[in-house]
Amino acid sequence: MSIPELLIKDGFITADDREKIDRYSSESGLSFIKIALTLGYISRKNYERSLNEVGIEFAQIREMEYDQDVLDKIDLSFANEHLALPLRIENGKVVTVMANPDDELFVDFIKFTYDLEPHIIIASDLDITWLSNKLIGEKYVKSSVFELLKRDPDSSAVVTFSSAQLVFIFILIGVVAVGLVMSFKNTSIILNVIISSFFLVAIIFKLFLALVGSRFELHQAVTKEELKLTIDDELPIYTILLPVYKEDKLIKKLIWNLQAIDYPRHKLDVKLLIEEDDDKTLNAVRNLDFPAIFEVLVVPYHMPKTKPKACNYGLHFARGKYLTIYDAEDIPDTDQLKKVVSLFGKLPSEYICVQSALNYFNRNENFLTRMFTLEYSYWFDYMLPGLDTLDIPIPLGGTSNHFKLQELIDLGAWDPFNVTEDADLGVRAYAKGHKIAIINSTTYEEANNEPFNWIRQRSRWIKGYMQTYLVHMRDPVKLVKKIGWKGFLGFNFFIGATPVIFLVYPLLLTFFICYIIFDLSSIRTLFPDWVLFMSIFNLMVGNILMIYVNMMAVFKRRYYELILFAIANPIYWLMHSISAYKGLYQLVTNPFYWEKTNHGLSKVNNPTNVVK
Amino acid sequence: MRISRSVYLLFLTVVLIIYYLVAAVYLNNLGYYNHESLFYIEKTRIVFDGVGARLKVMGLTSPMIPFMATFFFTNISYTLAPALASALGTGLLFFVIASTLIKRRDDDFFMYLLLAIFLFHPGILYTAASGKSTYLVLMFFFLFFLNLLKFYRSNTTFHVSIASICLVTLIFCDYKFVWLTLFFLPLVLTITIHSLNLGEQESIFRLFLSFNSPSLRRKLVNKTFALYIIIFALPLVAVLCYKLLNLTHASDLNYFNESPYATWNVLIDKLSFDQQTTNTNYQIPEISLLISARVLMFCPMILIAIYLFRESTYQILTLLTPFAFIEFLHLKYDKVYIAYQYYMVFLVLAFLCVMFKSQTVKNQKTFRLILAVTVIVQLYTGWYFLKTSPIAEDRNFLSVLTKRTEDETQSDNADIAGYINSLPDDVHILLDDATAYGVVAFVNQQKIKALTMPYQDNFLSGVESPDKAADYILIATDKNLVTGYTQLNNRYLVSIKRTLPQLVFKRVYETDNWIMFRVVK
Repeated sequence: MSIPELLIKDGFITADDREKIDRYSSESGLSFIKIALTLGYISRKNYERSLNEVGIEFAQIREMEYDQDVLDKIDLSFANEHLALPLRIENGKVVTVMANPDDELFVDFIKFTYDLEPHIIIASDLDITWLSNKLIGEKYVKSSVFELLKRDPDSSAVVTFSSAQLVFIFILIGVVAVGLVMSFKNTSIILNVIISSFFLVAIIFKLFLALVGSRFELHQAVTKEELKLTIDDELPIYTILLPVYKEDKLIKKLIWNLQAIDYPRHKLDVKLLIEEDDDKTLNAVRNLDFPAIFEVLVVPYHMPKTKPKACNYGLHFARGKYLTIYDAEDIPDTDQLKKVVSLFGKLPSEYICVQSALNYFNRNENFLTRMFTLEYSYWFDYMLPGLDTLDIPIPLGGTSNHFKLQELIDLGAWDPFNVTEDADLGVRAYAKGHKIAIINSTTYEEANNEPFNWIRQRSRWIKGYMQTYLVHMRDPVKLVKKIGWKGFLGFNFFIGATPVIFLVYPLLLTFFICYIIFDLSSIRTLFPDWVLFMSIFNLMVGNILMIYVNMMAVFKRRYYELILFAIANPIYWLMHSISAYKGLYQLVTNPFYWEKTNHGLSKVNNPTNVVK
Repeated sequence: MRISRSVYLLFLTVVLIIYYLVAAVYLNNLGYYNHESLFYIEKTRIVFDGVGARLKVMGLTSPMIPFMATFFFTNISYTLAPALASALGTGLLFFVIASTLIKRRDDDFFMYLLLAIFLFHPGILYTAASGKSTYLVLMFFFLFFLNLLKFYRSNTTFHVSIASICLVTLIFCDYKFVWLTLFFLPLVLTITIHSLNLGEQESIFRLFLSFNSPSLRRKLVNKTFALYIIIFALPLVAVLCYKLLNLTHASDLNYFNESPYATWNVLIDKLSFDQQTTNTNYQIPEISLLISARVLMFCPMILIAIYLFRESTYQILTLLTPFAFIEFLHLKYDKVYIAYQYYMVFLVLAFLCVMFKSQTVKNQKTFRLILAVTVIVQLYTGWYFLKTSPIAEDRNFLSVLTKRTEDETQSDNADIAGYINSLPDDVHILLDDATAYGVVAFVNQQKIKALTMPYQDNFLSGVESPDKAADYILIATDKNLVTGYTQLNNRYLVSIKRTLPQLVFKRVYETDNWIMFRVVK
């Protein structure tokens, strides 16, 4: 009895399902078992149960011997599509691990390629995937790491500080040091005035962006009527990359969220990217007692161990016309993919990416999640639309950015050495003459609800902004030529100023506390009244404006209960400052280190965000 | 080639600005000044040419925005700067209103109406040529209500935040507008009730429904509170910061509003009070409710505006807010006449409402006829209100404008300033600019350094021992209306002679209001 018949007999799939799988298999080239296990027809447990009942046990294959010459003759894509892998030649037969021994196409491949009969060992598809990616994925993982560096070294963050930048930084430090030695008081005054004025100007720029962005808050990039016009049969294949690392707690949730997406299932190419050493997540997938709707890819070990490297790896196997990334805990609006397809259809060809808004489902969990929600609301609802309107490079958000696949590949994809590869990619796209649009669709994420976890995550983001700034400012003249003065100033005030604001914030706050609260006489002897007045004015007005921008954003989102929390923004910014200093330290000592954010800490369960 | 409407509008604005500039310069040459413009001129001279705490003068002079707006023109002439600012600003006000108009109505009739108002309304001419801050008040009042009405229509945060920013600016153009917020408190509740998604249409029933359902009640409370915050957080925090600034630099939270050194209103209000209590000529007092009636007389177009918004209770309430505001001003500042600019705000508000809703009227012909008649009536009432204004300087403006003769009001101040200008550069002249700002306004640039005024640290020691710190002292005579509001008056001479009997004050120059004494050491 063949495997499909066995599954029908056991009642795990219907004859109708089998027909559908066969049809899709002939269309796509994917094997029967691949479709059955990754497109939601049967759970892995049930598959194993069926095989067990006819006396077949899954073999443990991870430690099996292999012959490199045998492996060299098979391509990873083919192995992945068929969930099978030849390992070595033994006793005149090719020892082959297979998830489905009925896969005649693969058996024929073995016969023709090696001119020998296969000796089939049946194993779990996940183990086969793990082994095949580990053994024959090296060229792909190397390409994931070094492709951008090879093709466009100026855009790679593998070098953190260029020589010119180092010279500039040291000259600057030297000038300040000489100034302090020659005239401590005057130099301190000049520094204070520059820093505090910069602080205010950067925040006024944010307010300006927020106002520009808020002007278009009613604008709908894709209307309901336009959405109704999309025809399911004409929709293209859509790849979803799900890079995860030790997210075993979130796998079930992930499946619910993916299942809620309103997009034909056969046109979804969902790839769960698991690191080679992440058995936790792999086992969580193995133990699912309901059908999964994603394909597992195991990213072989290679430094740097970052999310962009994993995404680049997944990109090699993506089949879609469009591609997006979600985190494991993301809950996108159910119609998001269709909206994006519709938007791409009406945008000019230079638009290669569409960014959705991000927000949080667990906003009312604690103080931190509330503050995070305020921040994301103004960032995605006002700042990014503001940048979009003014045609200034948009730093993409970590997830829910939708790309045209081919253009993404042409662009060099993500920089694995940059820890905010998304922001970097946004700027790089602009620099290469592409554009990014913002869409009226939201993905709800899990807000970080634990302070140390939050600082870890934020320090990575701020470090990434510094990296991105340094990468693109290696040749400022060239950058101006590419993105124009408006883009250049926007880039400096948005990407460059953000870490600087957080770095100088505690300094300004210290002056304020010394002057107003403790009334220290020594600070008055150093700074004349007008300087202190100016820096305190800048600090106060800056803070007030930021509070107001936060309030505006939650007002727009109708999260009225959060509006007063905006007042706590100065405290929240202190946490940013801690992260900024941590990020700065890491930028110098360990620039590519990926501070892992733990997800799944929230106790809030949110239903999927069905858009009616 | 057809000229686009916006180019056409720009051309009209430039023509209007030239018209206002000619009027302003002409009146200035006739010697027309008012207290507000003199105050700005004097403070600007201190900021640019004075010696001492100039930053404090710059930061604490109120109203801040109109004062600072004159800075742009000081290079041309100190004495002309406020008038130039107001002429240019009124042109800009026209541009703001007209550009709003052309975005909404593709109809020249309304542009003609607006032009008629801006060309012939005496109040607009007063705004443009007087150097007062009215042009800024009108502009931000217009923008505030414009954005509020846009918010009612679009329900976007953008418009409500811009309205809030305009309110902040308005308050810093005239602090009394802070009371406008008071009347928005109930209004915000009605706006929220309106915005709730309820089947019931009548406001009172919507309120009933919202209060009787726990979830709706919570939503109503949250939304009302959030709207309060979005509208009022910025103005209130801005005022609070400004008050703290006053506290740290002048040891008084309300210095900007209550000190004659910081704002011109204080002295003028006191004068107004004195005149009202001592005036022998009977004037019809301003009585509550009659103020609103006067507004309707001044600007009958507001009735049309109210009629156009009749279908929406909260929008009608919005239009009634300024009425409540001026009635409140009358109650709060009961001995002060309502200034002309508070009537003028209804002019721009009425036009705004007509612009917004005119397309809803079915019988356009009659409507236009009524509007045209109303505008003609307003031109007359504008003139009539200026002519019969209880405030002397309003009447004075009209008199100079119509008679086109030299204005002698400030000649006394100019005379004494002329004498100061003739003195050598190295003398020290003690004067109190709380009352003598009109004199300082006419003093030459190089002589400002010779003046010792209260913003300087050595003023007090100069008052205590003039023999050491001053060569000349300017004393207000008993005839001077403001003699009671300065330390440097005849009583000072008596008291200082008692303290320092050896001192001799020699009268060197005298006008009706001022005497210049030389301190003989």
